[in-house]
Amino acid sequence: MILLRVWVTARLWRELAFVLWGAVLSLPAFALALLGIAASALSVVIFGLFLLADVLSLARGAPRYFRSPARRLLGWEWPDPPPLGAHTRWGRMVAVLGDSTAWRALCYCFVRFPLIWLGGYGVAIAVVSGLLALTYPAWWFVAPNPFNSLDAHTWGQAWLEAGRGALLLLAMPWFVRLIVLADSWLVRGLLRPTRAARRIAQLEAGRAALQADAAAMLRRVERDLHDSTQARLVSLGVALARIEHRSTEQPVRALAEDALGTVTEALAELRDIVRGLHPPALDDGLDVALSTLVGRSAVPTSVTVELTARPPDAVASAVYFTVAELLTNVARHAGASRVRISLRDGGGALTLVVHDDGRGGATAGGSGTGLSGLTRRAEALDGALHVESPKGGPTTVTMTLPREG
Amino acid sequence: MRVVIAEDNALLRDGVVLLLGEHDIEVVAAVSDAGALLAAVAAERPDAAVVDVRMPPTHTDEGLRAALRIRSEHPQIAVLVFSQWVETSYARRLLSEHTGHVGYLLKDRIVSTGEFVDALRRVAAGGTALDPEVVRHLLAAPAVDAGLARLSAREREILGLLAEGRSNVAIAESLHLAERSVEKHVTAIFTKLDLPHDRSDHRRVLAVLRYLRA
Repeated sequence: MILLRVWVTARLWRELAFVLWGAVLSLPAFALALLGIAASALSVVIFGLFLLADVLSLARGAPRYFRSPARRLLGWEWPDPPPLGAHTRWGRMVAVLGDSTAWRALCYCFVRFPLIWLGGYGVAIAVVSGLLALTYPAWWFVAPNPFNSLDAHTWGQAWLEAGRGALLLLAMPWFVRLIVLADSWLVRGLLRPTRAARRIAQLEAGRAALQADAAAMLRRVERDLHDSTQARLVSLGVALARIEHRSTEQPVRALAEDALGTVTEALAELRDIVRGLHPPALDDGLDVALSTLVGRSAVPTSVTVELTARPPDAVASAVYFTVAELLTNVARHAGASRVRISLRDGGGALTLVVHDDGRGGATAGGSGTGLSGLTRRAEALDGALHVESPKGGPTTVTMTLPREG
Repeated sequence: MRVVIAEDNALLRDGVVLLLGEHDIEVVAAVSDAGALLAAVAAERPDAAVVDVRMPPTHTDEGLRAALRIRSEHPQIAVLVFSQWVETSYARRLLSEHTGHVGYLLKDRIVSTGEFVDALRRVAAGGTALDPEVVRHLLAAPAVDAGLARLSAREREILGLLAEGRSNVAIAESLHLAERSVEKHVTAIFTKLDLPHDRSDHRRVLAVLRYLRA
C-alpha cells in the first residue's frame, strides 16, 4: 500500500519539482564550473587567475542561488557563507582564491549537474516507459506488437510487460527520493558552512555583541557620572559656598571652605576617571575627541582627521585610547619635539599613523611601553598594529582597523 | 542684573538660583532645555544667560547651539556656557563669531562661587571669560601661528590670562608682577602678533582670537 500511497503525497510532487527545476538551475552552474576548470588550467598565466577569481566570486553565490528552491520546495535551510575578510579589490581577489567556501561551492556546481540530470533523466524514462508498459495490453489488443521494440508476442507476455511497467512506476518515487537524498548530502558537504566556519561566525557575532555592550555600558556609566554624580557634587559645593557666604561665624566659614576644597578635588578626580572610561568628547566625533586629547599632550602635536563616515563606537574608542597611550609613551620615552597624528579611512579600513621625531627603539614586544597591549587591542577588532622604530628614531606607529569593527 | 538659567539637573538648577540670589543677581527664569531657554530669553530679555552644554533631548551639545543662537539673535545678551568636561572646540565655536559677551567655564567652577559670579558679571558687561583649564589646553596645543610662536613663555602665560578675560590689574595680581610690567608684556604681545593700534580693549580681544584660532 505504501508503494501506492506515496504517489498521492505532496512530498513526491515537491521532490519531482525540485529535481526537474534543479536540472534547469544546474545548467548555468555547471557552465560556471566548466569555466572554473578552464580558468584553473589557464591560471599559469595571470589572466587565468583573474578569471578564476571572478568565477570563484560567482561560485560564492551558489549557496544562495540553490537555497531558494530548496527552501520553498523541501524546507531546507542553510546560512549564507561568511563574508570575505578583505576590503580592497586586490585583497578580495587573493582572499577568494584561497576561500574554501568558494571552492566547495564550485565543486557542488560541478557534481550536482550529473546527479540531478541522472535524476531528471531517470524520472522521464520511468514515467514514459512505465506508462507505455502499463498500458501494453491495451496496445496489444488494438494491434499486436505495436512498438516492435518489446519482445512480447503473447497475451501472457503483454500482461507481464504491464506488470513491469507498474513496478517501474511504483519504484520511481523511491528513485526520486534517493536522488534528493544524495543532493542533500552534497549540500551538507559542499554548500553549508563547515562546522569550524559556523563556529567562527558564532564567535564573531558574540564578540561584536560583547564589544558593543561594553562600549554602551561605559557610555552609560560616563553619562551617569556626569549627569548625576557630578551634578550632585556641584550642588553640594554650591550649598557649601552659600554656607560660607551667609555664616558670620569664622569657624563655620573655615569648615565650609575646607569642605569646598574637598568637593573641588573630588570633581577634578571624577573628571579624570570619566576621561579614562569613555571620553565624552567621542560623542562629538573622533576629530573633536582627538584634538581635545592632543590639547593635553606634553609634546607639540598636530592632528589631521579625514573620515568619510563616523566609525562604530568600539573602533572610535580603540583609536582614541591608542592615541592617548601612544602620546603618553612619546612623552615618557621618546624625547620627541613634535608628533604628527593622521587618521583616514579608505578601502573599508581606518588607518591611524602616529609619527614622532624622538629617539626610537620602541618594539611592540617590549614591556612597559604598552605597545603589546595596543597590538592586542587592535587584533581584538580584527585590526593590526605595526611599529617602525629604528634606534635613533624616528618612530612611526601604524594601526589599521576594519571600519565595521 | 537679570539672568536666565538653563540646566537640566533640578537640584543644581535650584542651587544656582539661590546662590545667584544671594549675590544680588536676579534669576528671571530657570529652565531645563534648549527650547525653553530660547523662549525665556526672547520673552525676558535678560542681561545674561547661564547655559549647560548638555541638555535633553540628545544630551550632546544643544546648550551650545542654543547659546550660539542667542548670541546671533540677541547680540546684547551675554552667554555663559558651562560644560561637564574640557572641550576646546566648544570654546572655539563660541568665540569664533562673537568675542565679547561670551564665557565658557567648566561646571566645577560653579563651586568656586567668587570666580563664577565674577565671570558672569564680566560677560554681562561685554567681556569674555574662559576656563583656566580650557586655556591650558589651548596653550598646550602647538602654535601654528608664526606670531604666536614668537611669544616668550611669560608672554604666552599672560596671553592665556587675557584669554580668560582678566584685566591687567588682575593679571598683575595673579602673577605677582607690577602692573607696569604686565602692561609692557601686553604691548609686546600686541607687537609680536602685529595687531593694529586701536582701542586697547579691542586689541585684547583680537589677541585672544588669534590665540584661539591658531
